[in-house]
Amino acid sequence: MSRLWGRSPPAPPPCLREGARVQPAHRARRRRGQSAPGGAARGRRDKMVAPGALRVVRCGGSGLRGARAVFSADSKYLLCASGDFVKVLSVNTEETLRLLCGHADLVTGIQLNPHNHMQLYSSSLDGTIKLWDFMDGIPIKTFTVGHKLLALYTLASTEDSVFVVIPKKGERDTFQLVSVKLTKGTGQDLEGKELSVVLDGVGASTKKIAFGREGAYVVSVKNVDLQVYFFEKRLLNRFSLSTVKTKGDNRFSCVVCHPREDCIATGHADGKIRLWRNFQHRKAYTYSTLHWHHDIVMDLAYSVEGTRLLSGGVESVLVQWHNESSCQKDFLPRLGSPIEYISMSSDGVLCCTLHTDNRITIINSNLRFSRSIQGLIKSRDVKTGLVVDPRTKALVLNGEPGHLQFYSLQSDQQLFSLDIVQRQYIHQAGLKQSDLVKVAFSARGTWLATVEESEEVTDPELQLKLWFYSEETQSFALNTRINTPHDNHITDMCFRDMDELGDDSLILVTTGRDCVFKVWVIVEDSDPEAHHNVSWSCDFIGSYHNYQATNCCFSEDGSLLAVSFEETVTVWDSLTWDLKCTFCHPPGNIRNICFGRLTCSKYLIGATDYGFLCCWNLLTCALEWSAHLNVVILQPDPLSEHIAAVSWLSKESSLFVFKPSEPRPIYIQRNICKEKILLAAFVPRDEPETISSEKYLWLRNSQLFFLTDTQELMTLSTKSLEERLTPSSKQLAVEESLPVTPFSVLLGKHRRQQAQEDIDLGKPVVHNKQEQASPAVKELLHTPAHVLPSASFLCTIFINSLLISKENKSAEEVADEVVEMESEKADGESDEEDVTAMEQEDTSHVELLGEITCKLSKSQEKELRKIRKMDYSWISAF
Amino acid sequence: MAAAPCAFSPRGCRLFASAGSDGRLRVWDTAGSRLQHEFVPSAHLSAACTCLAWAPLEARQPLGKDGPQRKKRKSEGGEVDKQLDILAIGTAVGSILLYSTVKGELQSKLDGGHDSRVNCVRWHQESCCLYSCSDDRHIVEWNTQTCKVKCKWKGDNSSITCLCISPDGKMLLSAGRTIKLWDLETKEVYRHFTGHATSVSSLIFTTVKPTNESKPFDGITGLYFLSGAIHDRLLSVWQIRSDRKEKNAVMSFAVTDEPTFVDLTVSEVKEEPVKLAVVCRDGQLHLFEHILNGYCKKPLTSNCTIQIATPGNDGDSTPKPVPILAAAFCTDKQSLLLVYGNALQPIIEKVSLNTSESHICLVRDVQKVLSLRTDAAVTKVKTPAVNSDAKVLVPGIPGHSTAVKTPALGKEKKKNKRKPGETEESIEERLGALDIDVSKVKTPGGLPQTDSFAVLLVQGLESNDAQILNKVLNTRKENIVKNTVARMPMHAVIPLLHELTKRLQGNPYSASLMVRWLKSVLTLHASYLSTLPDLIPQLGMLYQLMESRVKTLQKLSRLHGRLFILVSQVAASQTVQEVPEVNQTAKLVYEDDSSEEEGSDDEMIADKDSDENWDEDEDEQSDEQEMTVEKEVNGDSDLEPENESEEE
Repeated sequence: MSRLWGRSPPAPPPCLREGARVQPAHRARRRRGQSAPGGAARGRRDKMVAPGALRVVRCGGSGLRGARAVFSADSKYLLCASGDFVKVLSVNTEETLRLLCGHADLVTGIQLNPHNHMQLYSSSLDGTIKLWDFMDGIPIKTFTVGHKLLALYTLASTEDSVFVVIPKKGERDTFQLVSVKLTKGTGQDLEGKELSVVLDGVGASTKKIAFGREGAYVVSVKNVDLQVYFFEKRLLNRFSLSTVKTKGDNRFSCVVCHPREDCIATGHADGKIRLWRNFQHRKAYTYSTLHWHHDIVMDLAYSVEGTRLLSGGVESVLVQWHNESSCQKDFLPRLGSPIEYISMSSDGVLCCTLHTDNRITIINSNLRFSRSIQGLIKSRDVKTGLVVDPRTKALVLNGEPGHLQFYSLQSDQQLFSLDIVQRQYIHQAGLKQSDLVKVAFSARGTWLATVEESEEVTDPELQLKLWFYSEETQSFALNTRINTPHDNHITDMCFRDMDELGDDSLILVTTGRDCVFKVWVIVEDSDPEAHHNVSWSCDFIGSYHNYQATNCCFSEDGSLLAVSFEETVTVWDSLTWDLKCTFCHPPGNIRNICFGRLTCSKYLIGATDYGFLCCWNLLTCALEWSAHLNVVILQPDPLSEHIAAVSWLSKESSLFVFKPSEPRPIYIQRNICKEKILLAAFVPRDEPETISSEKYLWLRNSQLFFLTDTQELMTLSTKSLEERLTPSSKQLAVEESLPVTPFSVLLGKHRRQQAQEDIDLGKPVVHNKQEQASPAVKELLHTPAHVLPSASFLCTIFINSLLISKENKSAEEVADEVVEMESEKADGESDEEDVTAMEQEDTSHVELLGEITCKLSKSQEKELRKIRKMDYSWISAF
Repeated sequence: MAAAPCAFSPRGCRLFASAGSDGRLRVWDTAGSRLQHEFVPSAHLSAACTCLAWAPLEARQPLGKDGPQRKKRKSEGGEVDKQLDILAIGTAVGSILLYSTVKGELQSKLDGGHDSRVNCVRWHQESCCLYSCSDDRHIVEWNTQTCKVKCKWKGDNSSITCLCISPDGKMLLSAGRTIKLWDLETKEVYRHFTGHATSVSSLIFTTVKPTNESKPFDGITGLYFLSGAIHDRLLSVWQIRSDRKEKNAVMSFAVTDEPTFVDLTVSEVKEEPVKLAVVCRDGQLHLFEHILNGYCKKPLTSNCTIQIATPGNDGDSTPKPVPILAAAFCTDKQSLLLVYGNALQPIIEKVSLNTSESHICLVRDVQKVLSLRTDAAVTKVKTPAVNSDAKVLVPGIPGHSTAVKTPALGKEKKKNKRKPGETEESIEERLGALDIDVSKVKTPGGLPQTDSFAVLLVQGLESNDAQILNKVLNTRKENIVKNTVARMPMHAVIPLLHELTKRLQGNPYSASLMVRWLKSVLTLHASYLSTLPDLIPQLGMLYQLMESRVKTLQKLSRLHGRLFILVSQVAASQTVQEVPEVNQTAKLVYEDDSSEEEGSDDEMIADKDSDENWDEDEDEQSDEQEMTVEKEVNGDSDLEPENESEEE
């Protein structure tokens, strides 16, 4: 019986193909018979003894596409939803500061708490809203709503409720916007079941609803319908676009509201942007159109003042429209990939675009590219597999189309992306693009081989490029380009990994569907005038009965080459290119092959389509053992004998680690993660890890990484939860004790003085809240000096803001005080009249100046007249 | 200190911080050699940065009140492997800045400790204490949590320039000119060492355990440490002994110039040598490997010296040295991170250690590296160099498909090639004479005859004279070609075939001429060729060339057909437009659909046919390539049976 690793019933013993030199299986069968029961039992025990002692840890990738990113109030941090987590990123350094985790499903919305900008609300598909202290990464409260939450909105005007989009009960694919009352309880886990429906039939995406100026109305778009609901008037207006006369697809794709005026901007699938006004009236509404995008407008964003509108789409160009006119616009092209979301910081200095490939771009207000935060870039299809660059120890795989990304595992950042194809990527449906399909590094990383092919299925345009790493310039340079190396798709490629020998022994093997494998070697150029003295050329073409070549692999010492041709594995001598022997294990094509290493170098492992894992002994040319296992990945560890096999069976991935020489697997973990595992790679560790348990010794020198079908990168960690957590909690508790700037010294003195006086007089301290909250002063203090308008402009605002704090003084007096800085004029008078002043606080700041003057007492009027004679030219000098 | 202060981040050296002379702090990513971010202290012009120190990774600070419970609540997803990110920066006016490299902002400012230039800052490994020393002769112990001075004491009579904390964290080395070892609990001097004649610039412990394990280890006795001083070409190694008498250096390392940056791998096992990398002021790097055990009178010289220079091949002929600024061992102790070039734009490279050579000079084109880097600064896209001198292999070019010869044969061939190369001179000399002969022959004879062509051809092949060969091979007349080939001697057949192969690989026009030659050679000399024992290697290239060319024939003919239909359709529609009235009349009489319709259809077809004929003529005239392909098919069919017979 074959060894049973999987759960499925034992398969019939493999029949041996005629002609293939595999010995009669009785010997192997005997061995297998001995080992089989023990193996299975041990496997089960393993699972029992240490359930999940080796933990699967997510270490990169995953989608950032859940929701718009949010800037913190001071624009220093960027918060974005990333899979089940919320990431806190530093805008300055591109580093991840915190990972807020606690949601059990995709995070669909994040919003700052409008009443406390150190707090963040997040909603998730798991039906909870969480309130976080995002700087410390602490969850404050969890509200259980009980429905799938698809989007989240907060409003400053509503004190204790937030808005979420939930699916409507009983109806599929209809959603409603509801407001959730957040109960004020003391506990951490609270219920948020008080729902009241605001709008019905809304879109599920967070982009399809927007709240208007000061929360007065809410706009929702779906298909060709636009509905506006006015909260105060309880009025619902519906508008719909006609679909008849337009030739394009004019469905709504996104909506935003002007922050200052009653204006709605909507994006459409045909690339138009419409600006709606006067929509309070059902008939008399107007709209104007801006058109630049040739395809769907993915997202829109208004600047803080509403003077600029940003739009982005699949063209990966950010367009800035000025003053809602279509003639004045600026562009920021070549952002790399389609723009999914655009968000603005609250001070209007920065803007951030989230892209479909998980890239975050931070852009200055003057539309200059500022930073790009790139983790694992999501490519449409990882065809290259996971390859480790021996030089940088980075993981190499497909990045943006035509590029190779070098991803640093330590820092979860992209080191760089290498432009291999060197063609401008043009987004257009139906356009055939060239992309990388195979990549291989030589043992020391001096040579890089890439295969690119166009997307055509029948007649691919293939190019094999060989790049030499030039130490002199610290970059790769093209050495040889081979057009159509094979007549059909290239299925596999490998270098002969031989560390100790020089470049002369380097051999590259490519296998193709044109039924041959080709051996490429370095030759010295015969042409003396050529600058390069070496180049690659074909040395040998091998084939086997006109079967398609599917995989190739060199033995550790480089003496043997194994090439699989459909159902057969052929072994070739790498010196003479003679066919040494063949193995097969019908039925089923060979999916993966690899040689054993170190002490197990006499074994050849193969996995077949029909769920067999076979191990052949190269010395006896016999089948050593086989196991029934639907292996999708077979990955040998470059530093040890161990081989990892990942199986895919009845919708769960299981990991088996084994030595070819031993009949039992060393390690089994079933259901390693919920997604399907597509690729795996062993990455050598910098220093061997100290591992206490003998069972996990195979992880000592290398770390195993997996890539799932959602392009999340996982790894296995032996460290316990505490050990792994310490680094992040280990941050030095250095207190923030920053020296005060001269300006804040001035302001602080001013405030302190007043507070002191209030206390001295024994009166209830009436904080000059208005001053603190005054947006003008706040802006003045938070905006960098170089973006501030001229001082003369600021002066009046600043004076006005001070004026409120000393409510009943005339503006002139206040101005005087500012000049004198430390004047002691703040006397009891002002405090006495606090009560009267309170009434006036409701009025807006601008009007204040005029109003106060008419309420002056006679004595003050006199004083005022006196002052009026003075010269005020100094003000303009500011 | 002349050199700009710089430091690698602990464990893994992922980041490299350097403070430039302009007062800006730059943090570089060592893996990508990329500027991570830049920090400009508010007083960077007045208070220049004098020293840097990364907070150690091992520090385990007592968590705050709400720390442990609340933070443990995080699920396992929260594995941001965060490094400790605080960088302590000492300034010239006596304040110390704590800067967070993750957030990219100033964390706090330690004030009130020193009133003069801070010379060195050191973090304690376990507690979050920070030690600093200054020109004001004091050593200050800071509590970084409260940002207050914990303790301050006078350390020397002159300025203190360097500090180092012992591996167990209980002792502190301080140095001005002499070196003192302090007990950190009592703040008393534990040992004195003679030190250097000038102020010490670097202090570093080289061992964590005493090499002599017989005695119980009290944490400090028996340890070695290293010191380097400005203007001193010797680095001294000192041992802390139990007896107080020994005050002189145990041994010393000699370098070429004043040491500016020192890094070492601490040996944990007795047998493992200490690896020391010393960057000198002259830009050289010296590597030492030594097992520390007791005295050594002579100063040790370096095992390996590394220098970097520009290639200097184009433009400026002399290679210029590139200074190394800093170096650090990677965690595997087998490779070294080198920082070199300009201090404002350093290049960081990982070099694997190979100490078997005593002197290594790395050639680096700094300008090119920097220019390649600039475009990757923001977008991270690197464009690898694609030069025109890269070899391009297309089907049909030798090397694209298998070279049928075995390696041994190839070598032989090379030798063969060389031999005619040597004799070429004499042939050329002869050729000159021949040329005259030819002209002589030509003048009396008038028109060249086929036999003279054969002679010319042989001469041209022997001398490899392109002029003669062109003259001969560019003839278009079939007769001449046939006769020439028939009359040429047997030994010239193979060279001619090679020459033809070479020319076939060239442009398609010449290929069309060569095909005629090839055809006649193969038909006339087939019997000779079949006798050759090494025919397959000799003609393999030619065969492949034909194969690859013929492969596209099918596609080309398909394309030809499609284009042809297209063109004829266009032409047909044009003719239809010219006679619209006829059609209209046909439309009116629709009832009987059989007779009239067919008639018109026939007419149309006839029209088309005539067009087709016309087109075909034109195509055949214009499309020379098509012709050659067809010709090659013929040639191929000629060749194939021969080859097969050969294989058998």
